[in-house]
This record gives sequence, C-alpha cells and structure tokens, in this order.
Amino acid sequence: MDDERIDFSLLDPKRDEVRWGRIVTSLAAQAAAERRARLSVEWQMARWARPVLAVAAGLCLLAWAGGWLGSGRASVGGETPIVLTVASWAANQQVPDPGALLQALRGE
Amino acid sequence: MLSPDETARLVRLAKQGQADAFTLLVCAYLRAVYAVALSIVGRPADAEDIAQDACLKAFEHIDTCREPERFVGWLLQIARNQARNLLDRRWLRDVAGEGAKVLEFATIPSAAAGQREDLLAALATLDVRSRELVLLHDLEGWTHPEIAAALDLSEELSRQILFRARRALRVELGGAVPLEGSHG
Repeated sequence: MDDERIDFSLLDPKRDEVRWGRIVTSLAAQAAAERRARLSVEWQMARWARPVLAVAAGLCLLAWAGGWLGSGRASVGGETPIVLTVASWAANQQVPDPGALLQALRGE
Repeated sequence: MLSPDETARLVRLAKQGQADAFTLLVCAYLRAVYAVALSIVGRPADAEDIAQDACLKAFEHIDTCREPERFVGWLLQIARNQARNLLDRRWLRDVAGEGAKVLEFATIPSAAAGQREDLLAALATLDVRSRELVLLHDLEGWTHPEIAAALDLSEELSRQILFRARRALRVELGGAVPLEGSHG
C-alpha cells in the first residue's frame, strides 16, 4: 500500500540517542551563549562604536568649519582686513605712513 | 513538531537569550533541518553538519526572523541555502579534481551493498521537493498540515507528492522496501 510509511530509520541520526542528545545540548548551549554575548552591553558598544565615532567626527568637522567661518566673519568687526583698510585710504584719498602700512600688512 | 504559537513563544524567548528556549527549539527541529539538508546533499554526515550550522546561523540572526510564527519555514530555508552552498563547493572540488563531472546529488551506486545505500540511491531518483517531503513525513513524522505550513503548499499537494514519492521509491527499491505500519 502506498499509504504505508517508508522506513528511513537507517538514515535517522537519532538512532544513537546518546550522541544525538549530546549534539542537541551542545548546539543549544552554544547558540544561547552567543545570543547572550550579543545582548551584552560590551558587544553592543563594540558594534556601535564605529558608527558613533564616525558621527562624532562629522560633528567635530562641522563645528570646526563653523568656527573657522565664524572667526572669518568676526575679523571684519574686530580686526579690519587689509582690503577694507586700503579701500578706506583710497576712499579718503589718504596716503598711509609706513608705520600704518606695515600694521595693515601684518593684519593686526 | 511544536504548534506555531508555541514555536513563536520560544522564538521570542530565544531572542531574549533564554537558554531553555534554544534547547526546546533545537530538540524540536534539528532532525527536520537534517531531513531537508539530506534531501539536497544526499549524504547523512554532511546533512548533520549542515543541520548544526544552519541552526547556529539561524539563532545568530534570529532578530531577522520577523514573524516568529513562521520560524520553521525560515529555518528550513536557511538549511536549504547552506546545503546548496555545500553542493556548490563540492561541485567545484569535484570539477577541479575529476574534470567535467557534475554531481547534483550523492552518486551512490545502486548495486552498493547495504540497505542504507539503497535508500539513498532511491531517494536520489526523486526531485528535491519530493525527497524533502517524504523525509519530513516518513522520517521526521510531520503531518500534512505541518508540512503544508512549513513548505508553503497545500495539504492536498503534500499528499499527492508523498503518494508519488513513495510509489517511486518502491519501484526503485524493488522487493526490498522497508515499511513501517500503516499511517495516513
């Protein structure tokens, strides 16, 4: 009758119950240990360290660039750029004395 | 086989790292994974290795199993992928070593001594799905509803495939068909 099962017991790894039990126990223990390790704080930190560092580096870069640009704009009010100094002389038809010229070139 | 609800419950516990959940899942499904692997690679020793590797890989990536109720089908697919990878490596090794010989299944001489080898040779005459189904039913003891749910096919198709597979195996095995008691 075709509704009778074929006996595959010769291919059944559970034939050796002791050995199979050892395999199951070892496998489950290994899987559980690896899972717990993945859930640990240390593992999570190691996993996320690189992306966090990349973001931090990006923020630092932005902060530096913003500070650099800001320091550039601040110098217009605080430290007059040489271009504006020369433009002022020209507008007022002034001839700078050597001391004033040297000071402008030094950017101070 | 565990019920889908029980399987889902254990999968959620396993995601939290509970060791008992892993043990119960391995106990419940390792042999089924072996059966699927055997249906592809054709060698029991290789199938055992693949079954263990597949289970470890599944548990390693258990977070990607987004539907715990479908864990079994997901696990079996991992086993199939691992088995096919082994076949690819075996093919490459055999082609490199022996020339243009292509092995899709373990080549077991039909005249080889031993009923075990006869069973493997007879299985080799079936297509992969038929091998998988007949092993899950007759070796692992799954019912047609369980097979249908795990393999994503209808119960009716499962019965048809099993019927044809058993008939083909009986033809291959001739008068030396190992039979168990009558089951539906």
